[in-house]
Amino acid sequence: MLASAAAAAALLPRRLNPNPNPKPYLLKRLASSTTTSSSARTTPPNPQIPISGAAAATAAEVESNPTPLFLRPAEHPIPATSLAAFRRRAESLIPPTAPHLHRHLRWLLADAAGEDPALLRLPLGDLEALWIRHVRDRRPFQYVVGNEHWRDMVVAVREGVLIPRPETEAVVEMVGNVEGFEGGWWADLGTGSGAIAVAVARMMGPKGRVFATDVSEVAIEVARLNVQRYGMQDKVEIRHGSWFEPLEDLKGKLMGVISNPPYIPTEDLPGLQPEVGWHEPKLALDGGKDGLEHLLHLCEGLSSVLKPGGFFVFETNGNKQSEFLVDFISTKWDSSFCDVGAVLDFADIKRFVTGYRR
Amino acid sequence: MASRLLTRSTTAARLLSHLRFPRALNPSQLDSLLGPSRGLPAAAERCPFGDPPNRWFSSPTAVAEAPMTADGLTVDSIAGKGWTILPEDDSDWRSHAAAVAQSVKLIKKRLKWGWILERSKQLSVVLERPDLWDDPVFAGKVSREHGELIGKIKSVNLFEQELMEHIDMLRLAREEDDNELEKETMRALAEMRRSAKEKELNALLSGDNDSCSCFIEVQAGAGGTESMDWAAMIMNMYRSWAQRRGYTVTIVEEMPGEIAGIKRATIKVDGEYAFGYAKAEVGVHRLVRISPFDSGKRRHTSFAAVAVVPILGDGSTRYQIKDSDLRIERFRSGGPGGQHANCTESAVRIVHIPTGITATCQNERSQHMNKSSAMAVLQSRLDQLEIARQAQMNADHTQSLSEISWGNQIRSYVLHPYRMVKDLRTNYEVSDPDSVLNGDLDDFILNFLSTSLDEADGSA
Ligand SMILES: C[S@@+](CC[C@H](N)C(=O)[O-])C[C@H]1O[C@@H](n2cnc3c(N)ncnc32)[C@H](O)[C@@H]1O
Repeated sequence: MLASAAAAAALLPRRLNPNPNPKPYLLKRLASSTTTSSSARTTPPNPQIPISGAAAATAAEVESNPTPLFLRPAEHPIPATSLAAFRRRAESLIPPTAPHLHRHLRWLLADAAGEDPALLRLPLGDLEALWIRHVRDRRPFQYVVGNEHWRDMVVAVREGVLIPRPETEAVVEMVGNVEGFEGGWWADLGTGSGAIAVAVARMMGPKGRVFATDVSEVAIEVARLNVQRYGMQDKVEIRHGSWFEPLEDLKGKLMGVISNPPYIPTEDLPGLQPEVGWHEPKLALDGGKDGLEHLLHLCEGLSSVLKPGGFFVFETNGNKQSEFLVDFISTKWDSSFCDVGAVLDFADIKRFVTGYRR
Repeated sequence: MASRLLTRSTTAARLLSHLRFPRALNPSQLDSLLGPSRGLPAAAERCPFGDPPNRWFSSPTAVAEAPMTADGLTVDSIAGKGWTILPEDDSDWRSHAAAVAQSVKLIKKRLKWGWILERSKQLSVVLERPDLWDDPVFAGKVSREHGELIGKIKSVNLFEQELMEHIDMLRLAREEDDNELEKETMRALAEMRRSAKEKELNALLSGDNDSCSCFIEVQAGAGGTESMDWAAMIMNMYRSWAQRRGYTVTIVEEMPGEIAGIKRATIKVDGEYAFGYAKAEVGVHRLVRISPFDSGKRRHTSFAAVAVVPILGDGSTRYQIKDSDLRIERFRSGGPGGQHANCTESAVRIVHIPTGITATCQNERSQHMNKSSAMAVLQSRLDQLEIARQAQMNADHTQSLSEISWGNQIRSYVLHPYRMVKDLRTNYEVSDPDSVLNGDLDDFILNFLSTSLDEADGSA
């Protein structure tokens, strides 16, 4: 009883623990060496190099398991003391000036723990390797745990598929505000993890359908997992192919088109924050010249797939792209679209372009 | 024969069965049960016809009549006899009865007995008004409060009644020379002593929102890292305390210090009576120690302020929040956002425009969850404001963090040059600060609660 209470306590986040013997020298060294949001490093680390301190497995081995951590069976016994020792070691790697890393540690432990606090979902050595690589190499936390908490969902993700962004949550709201959306057919082009498609499907009535497409095999696989996890197999149909190509049979039948295509200008890619630039797939980010290559292609195809009155929403790189697209659509295709406009995200950036087919 | 009949577990049930099947008793037994004079106490009179407690308390005047033994003993008269109270394992019924009677008196005092009798009377008058249900919200409130008060009154009176019945039963057993029944009754009396102690403790937590879950907020005083470290130690103390009590603890909001500790943090403590206990901790906590952050190894004094906010259940009057009164601010990374940024920070801050009250949550993994957590905090803060406004009860424990004056020190923790924790309100002290800082707080809390209730005016 006592032992299990101690074990449970050990699993609880300890960020609030006072540090009884602060080691200023250690903290200082870490503060300067631990990367925070801007890094002096310009080249990604080589993931093949084994990580010192992680005796059990190399990074590549640890990361090759495609099942998100929280979905793996908890079958690795762990004494409460070892776990507590791990937490101390892990905490010693992060300075108090990096609250996000303290949060990550808490969440990582939450995802790694089974119902029974004496069981972990991975060997302790692997956990250690994951943590070190997260802190050292800035591998995105979402890839470490294999999920992103997005809206009210836990979306599975892994290397090769874009981690859905908080800004994108608003897209789902916009779709939900379209009259009669719940009974219509929708397309989510470049669905990635399938986050948007699943979230929209979850709001739909029995007649509603989402056709989710992507050109990436990994995305298709991950999207399929998420569709299954939320039991949306009857509502979401996943199709493999480039933009409108897999939708030949749906021409003129769609109530709406949703897309968050790659929109970062190619020339901006090298300056991206390491979590993004080093670790997320280029295919999901690279928008070509001015970042508009895919967006323009999508605009071209819109009028042939949407039925009259149909709605579209695209996410963009921000004010410049949105303003350009609004202007472009309303001048070039004035006869095909109406109510075209930019929509702000929560940071007051013109993040989305929406409109209706006439 | 009687003892075979008396095999039901509680004394009350036994008595009832005597009364329901009078043929099983001979007339003299019945006489001895009901008292020689047949001047029946109210409870005995009504027993054969139904559920005594309901009848008893359905009209406020019935309460006035205290449960009484056949020969006229009541809790007050027993307590007044000055019988010596011996240890529990001494089989002396007078000692047991005196101990229980004393507890009942303490319980009544803690419940503010005089006040709740008066209040329940007033409420029953209101409840009889024919137009009461024209305002269903008001009616609901009145009938809920009435029900709660009656529940408290009933439970104490039942307990008193049980004591009287045991005493009667004991007399019956002795008259009948029924050794087994006598032993059993003595055991039951000793058991009553134990449960009386428990009820004394429970009566400490009879305040309006005592049974609620709560938020505990801690804020570091002036003094930089040393104070922030102290605030973190205090927060940790509450987390350990809450976990020991079996409560569920979640961090809602936390502003870490630059070097160590926290500037401010809020935790949610889920479980029965979390607020009732934690409210005893409201105020400023002072620490004296050799600061580990001072290379000169000097002694430092630091302060941390603690506020406790109840999380009202659905039954209570809650502050109605209008969506249009809210401004919801989300975390912005400040950069270009969208596909450019990887950000697990999803803090949400909600401002209630009319009152300026805000709540923040950055601890959850999605904005969705942060928003609902922050809403819960905001709701509780507004509820607290509402309670204070409605009841005009500006008692200490309804103060919010911003209202707590740094002069309001409630407890001092000294690690150097001697070791001691002392509550400045009760003068209760212990010489082992480590155990206190590890969450061993119950003695401080109970001492404070009993001092503040037992030494309060003698309004009982
Ligand atoms: C920025 S991500 C968006 C993913 C997801 N919809 C979201 O919002 O999280 C862009 C997606 O478009 C996909 N993509 C890139 N080129 C594509 C193409 N030619 N046809 C279809 N999908 C493409 C990428 O694989 C990637 O999944």
